[in-house]
Amino acid sequence: MPGLFEGFVGKHKRGVTLAVLVLLSLFSLLVSNRTLIIQPKEVGLSIMSFFQKGFSGVFRWIGETAGSIRLLQQAREELAAVNLKVQALDQTNRDIIQLRRENQLLREQIDLIHSLPADRISAEVIAKDHDNLFSTITVNKGSRHGVRRDMPVVAYQGDLEGLVGKVVAVSAGSAQILPLYDPQCQVSARLERSRYEGLINGQGQDRQNILMRYVKKIAVDSIEYGDLVVTAGLGGLYPKGINVGRIRDILARGYETSLLLEIEPIIDFSRLEYVYILQLEPEVVEAQ
Amino acid sequence: MNKVRASLLALLLLCIAILLQSTILGRIAIASVRPDIALIILVFVSLRRGSMVGQISGFASGILEDFMSVSPLGFHPLMRAVIGYIYGRFSGTVFVDPFLMPMILTAVATLLKGLLSGLVSTLFGITSSGFLYFAGRLWIEMGYNAVLSPFLFAALNLIKTFRQAEKEGT
Repeated sequence: MPGLFEGFVGKHKRGVTLAVLVLLSLFSLLVSNRTLIIQPKEVGLSIMSFFQKGFSGVFRWIGETAGSIRLLQQAREELAAVNLKVQALDQTNRDIIQLRRENQLLREQIDLIHSLPADRISAEVIAKDHDNLFSTITVNKGSRHGVRRDMPVVAYQGDLEGLVGKVVAVSAGSAQILPLYDPQCQVSARLERSRYEGLINGQGQDRQNILMRYVKKIAVDSIEYGDLVVTAGLGGLYPKGINVGRIRDILARGYETSLLLEIEPIIDFSRLEYVYILQLEPEVVEAQ
Repeated sequence: MNKVRASLLALLLLCIAILLQSTILGRIAIASVRPDIALIILVFVSLRRGSMVGQISGFASGILEDFMSVSPLGFHPLMRAVIGYIYGRFSGTVFVDPFLMPMILTAVATLLKGLLSGLVSTLFGITSSGFLYFAGRLWIEMGYNAVLSPFLFAALNLIKTFRQAEKEGT
């Protein structure tokens, strides 16, 4: 009997190897999909992100060196323009200080202050998912810098703070972020003006608009194109009031009980270079 | 010994390709779709060195891919091992001309990748862009990979270890 088995293995060496590899993959899929194993992925992420940092750094250096001459000329022109702007901003700044004082007083009066005790960890994007099937963003800060799983991530573009996503995997020196446009990323959101709530999730592509579902149908009259959508603060993951995007389309299907809104994210993910990880534990957000 | 060396070399090439895909190749993405040069390399290596080298290097590179992605461990190894095995079975029996065959073989491999990812995602309840993949991204990636394949095949032909096709079963 053992001879028969050995004969079979010897004859079908390639097929047996494939079967072993497929079984290994399936077993690994079964286990890791139930999140029983996280350790090998974290170790692997640490190693691979080390190389990603290297690659990213080399190519950035080449690109920056080549572009520095052009940038120098641009900088000279911009300096002149900036000097003019500074003078105008100086005046604006004085006005802002005055307005801020007034705003603070008003906020205290109507008890609307929701100050978030959030420290921010700035991080640089070093890589994106290599495959078109998944969408993750890898940054150069990890558990060593205080990054934890499920921490919300924001970024600034065009003077606006916008939600990027949440941390899904952390190694010592790097972390993976699940971006807003990924179908797995779900965010409870609210229309800033009309206060209606809904659930946001992505369509899988960074240049595509995201979708806001389950918005009550009666909201259709009070919603306008361009309305700002912010995080609702429900679910204990994202703090309240972070900008998500603006309404670009309203879909009211007769057979559905809720509206479907197409949202253009505040953040242009194709231009994303730096992000801020909010050091908020889920319990803190929930308490708020 | 030859197979071990070929597997290790293939793994090294695949590893470089994956790192390039996750960093620099994002800049040449078409409609956010980046080419899968690791898949092209896997097709080439499997066709030249047979199913054993193809499936083992594919499996090992798949593990590295899962480390860098949000995909569950086992997702990419399964796909890459199966593709490596299938293409390896044709080693030494398919005439690969400089242009047309690399394009056809790579396009079919991309389609196979799409089918396998859809199947695995459905079976294991994995939420990935895989479901949306067939809506357009698959076809863009298929075209992109096909266009790049003759150039990559030509470049890989320069490597001595992969120059001669090894007939499957020898």
